[in-house]
Amino acid sequence: MRLTRAHRLPEPPVAGSVVTAAAGVSVTLGGTRVLDDVSIEVRAGEVLALVGPNGAGKSTLLSALTGDVAVSSGSVTLCGRPLSAWSATEAAMRRAVLLQQVRLSFPFTVAEVVWMGRAPWAGTPLEAADEEAVRAAAADADVAQFAGRRFTSLSGGEQARVALARVLAQRTGVLLLDEPTAALDLRHQELVLGVARSRAAAGVAVVVVLHDLNLAAAHADRVAVLAGGRVVATGTPAEVLGGDLLSDVYEHDVEVIAHPRTGTPVILPRR
Amino acid sequence: MTATVSAPPESPSVGAAPPRRARRGRGGLLIGGLSVALVVMTIVSAGRGQLQIPPSEVVGSILHRLDANLEWVLRQAGVSVDLPLDAGPRPAHVQGENTLWLVRFPRVVLALLVGAALAAAGALMQGVFGNPLAEPAVVGVSPGAAVGASLVFVTGANFLGEWTVAVAAFATGLVTTLLVYALSRSGGRTEVVTLVLTGVAVTAVAFAIVAFATFVATPEAREQIVFWQLGSLNGARWQAVVAVLPFVAAGLALAIAMARSLDLLALGERSARHLGVRVERLRLVAIVAVAMLVGSGVAFAGVIGFVGLVVPHLVRMIAGPGHRVLLPASALGGALLLVSADLVARTAIEYADLPLGMLTALVGGPLFFWLLRRTRTSQGGWA
Repeated sequence: MRLTRAHRLPEPPVAGSVVTAAAGVSVTLGGTRVLDDVSIEVRAGEVLALVGPNGAGKSTLLSALTGDVAVSSGSVTLCGRPLSAWSATEAAMRRAVLLQQVRLSFPFTVAEVVWMGRAPWAGTPLEAADEEAVRAAAADADVAQFAGRRFTSLSGGEQARVALARVLAQRTGVLLLDEPTAALDLRHQELVLGVARSRAAAGVAVVVVLHDLNLAAAHADRVAVLAGGRVVATGTPAEVLGGDLLSDVYEHDVEVIAHPRTGTPVILPRR
Repeated sequence: MTATVSAPPESPSVGAAPPRRARRGRGGLLIGGLSVALVVMTIVSAGRGQLQIPPSEVVGSILHRLDANLEWVLRQAGVSVDLPLDAGPRPAHVQGENTLWLVRFPRVVLALLVGAALAAAGALMQGVFGNPLAEPAVVGVSPGAAVGASLVFVTGANFLGEWTVAVAAFATGLVTTLLVYALSRSGGRTEVVTLVLTGVAVTAVAFAIVAFATFVATPEAREQIVFWQLGSLNGARWQAVVAVLPFVAAGLALAIAMARSLDLLALGERSARHLGVRVERLRLVAIVAVAMLVGSGVAFAGVIGFVGLVVPHLVRMIAGPGHRVLLPASALGGALLLVSADLVARTAIEYADLPLGMLTALVGGPLFFWLLRRTRTSQGGWA
């Protein structure tokens, strides 16, 4: 159902400005405090990686930023307004979300799934960019070659890339990606995070949940480390990804060495 | 199909061939084909029966009426013209005109409306719950409607005249569906297995109420209840058509207005919301539409199963799962199926009117099983 009421179209991003933020957010699920007084700011033009052990609250923080879970205290803002001030379509014009689990109830083709990403722009002047956005997104996620195939016939990693293409086709100022690399091979992991970086270079604010700390170290502008529902550190990979902090957070001895050629931190569990 | 594909055929490109248009080409063919088949079947069906009337005479009769009515309307507007529509032969038999206009046409039109309603409701239900096995009967619309109808038969209630059964069936169908939906939700999510199991539980209670109504009913009311549940269009009159039409029209309009959002809902509730769909409102409107479609159809035709399950499934196999084609094509396919089934019901055995619900289940059950097997082997299981 679509009402014909006019939606407020998004403004172009101002580099370095905060586009989405959580301030003092706490979330309680089933009696357990999953997020405890978390504050985080995401700026236009940066890739922010959320890392931390299982159950640290990374996905819940992402859900709080999307408005999927109700916060028990604190506030979430999107493009300078409280999240609730935007209609569902207006929010969809501003932020796109890739969930961890990708599903599809009916066997749509890959092309149809990617086109779904253009839904928020129907009836707006930006509808004119639909075809170009879909083509570019499919190329970026490397799914153009199976455009005509049924989504349900693809492998898990291929499905994940189609879902990413759909999210990229939405062309929003904020990208929230929950473990976009989990099901992917080495080449596609690099490709996906490369796309995230090039989007950030174009002024998009990218939040990406990652389990692979080396990917976070190599591709993120800033890293936020979560543990036990709290943000324990935020900063550049070199500032944050230290052996002591990671050993503490992951409860496993971790050593960090500088890559001999690039100087990027390389994180290894001590075996 | 118009030439929207600019990329060479061996390398189909996502952006170059917008699937909406590509699919619309195939879907358009399907919708066109079904429309033609439906018109042909309607004319053939109206001519068959104890009094055989050739299709040419059926068409002639329709054209003469149309011509007379249009000329009358124009005369009221002060225009006196002789329209050239009154072509073709009129029914040769003395009783031909009466048979067509008092018996056959209302019944065929009602079959058409009910078939369209059931199939569209099935497609809508499957879209809303993201499951190809959802059917109005599964989530309790039909059993719920049966409760209302049987209570009206038992009590002899007549508070709304011609509309009493329809309104009661509609109301109880809607309440039952909302009940199933509310009971199967928890934590803001609807799990399909929970939904189906809740449907089973609520259906059991509904049938218990119908059984009680059957038990306490007078022999005459009991017969009404039993035959109503077998499903039949016997004795359909224009009043029934007039009563059903607004519900079906409104239900179909609502359904088609939701088509695009239903496509997005296939991604799951959360992803649909992230694309701007107001999922809760969509579900509520869809359930009201399903209750309108099924409740009104079931009220006059009784319980007719499998139309809502088989027809959308066949359409998806031919034209894909996009709801902008699926919903109208299912409505047309359902209409075609029920007009054909009703023709069999009243002509297969002379001087007997077979229960329509029995026929659709008899054909629909095995057909659905075959479809399930086929889909499993071609897609490697359900998504």
